[in-house]
Amino acid sequence: MASTEDRIRQLVADNLEVDGKPLSSSLDLSVSLTEAGVSSMDVVAFTKVVAQEFKLEFSREQCPTINNLQELIEFLDSQAA
Amino acid sequence: MGWLDGQEQARRQRFAYDGPRRRFTLCRAALRAILCEELHCQNEQLAFRASRFGKPYALVQDQPASVSFNVSHSGNHGLVACAPTGRLGVDIEERDPRRDLSLLIDTVLGPEEKTALALTQGQARTHLFFKLWTLKEAVLKALGEGFVLDATCIRIPAATVGGRESGMLQLPRLPEVTWQIEDLGNQEFAAAVAIELSGVSARKD
Repeated sequence: MASTEDRIRQLVADNLEVDGKPLSSSLDLSVSLTEAGVSSMDVVAFTKVVAQEFKLEFSREQCPTINNLQELIEFLDSQAA
Repeated sequence: MGWLDGQEQARRQRFAYDGPRRRFTLCRAALRAILCEELHCQNEQLAFRASRFGKPYALVQDQPASVSFNVSHSGNHGLVACAPTGRLGVDIEERDPRRDLSLLIDTVLGPEEKTALALTQGQARTHLFFKLWTLKEAVLKALGEGFVLDATCIRIPAATVGGRESGMLQLPRLPEVTWQIEDLGNQEFAAAVAIELSGVSARKD
């Protein structure tokens, strides 16, 4: 089975774009999506896509603690543990 | 680029793509020009810090400045607003007709807003959703807590949903504060501003 990082990178490539171009799946995971240029609307939609893919819900308390994709992957791995 | 200080230059470098980096630079330079004029200070005297939720505030000569401001940019458009008092938030979103709204509607809209949206279709539906999004995000940015607050709890007045450009609202968790909201959108983009009012009662719509 693909790793959490591989699944997130695939979701990024499939769902996020900047200036009309897909966001690279080789994106530096320590960069926040906002700093990658992703709009807030896309960030919220991406959160829903991730929740569907990993079959979980993000609480409003959890969202501010996840600042970039690396932290998202660590959070998802912690939920699966 | 010479207008930006060291922290802003570092943040500028972290942008992964040229377009967003350029927009950040232009908007921050515009913000600095506006605030220097409003605060009667030199650019070198102006600095920014951020709250724990990321909302920026201004310092002049290392002292908090008595000004409220907010910035948003999307595509080729930027929006800067400032006021002497009151929390302030803005949002601008270029209209993207390809956007799949289905993932966003339940996250953002309350029951009455969803009913209003269901009565529209095509471009009118997209425009109404973008209007409601920008109005709510402007309120959230004014609060400075991001999407920690449930956006569905921000109830846009029915008259504003129905077409009026401005309105006033209160939030259930902050009933003592009245927010004035205004739709600034046009055919190219949706945009909104929200500002905290003091001593004003919300109008019933």
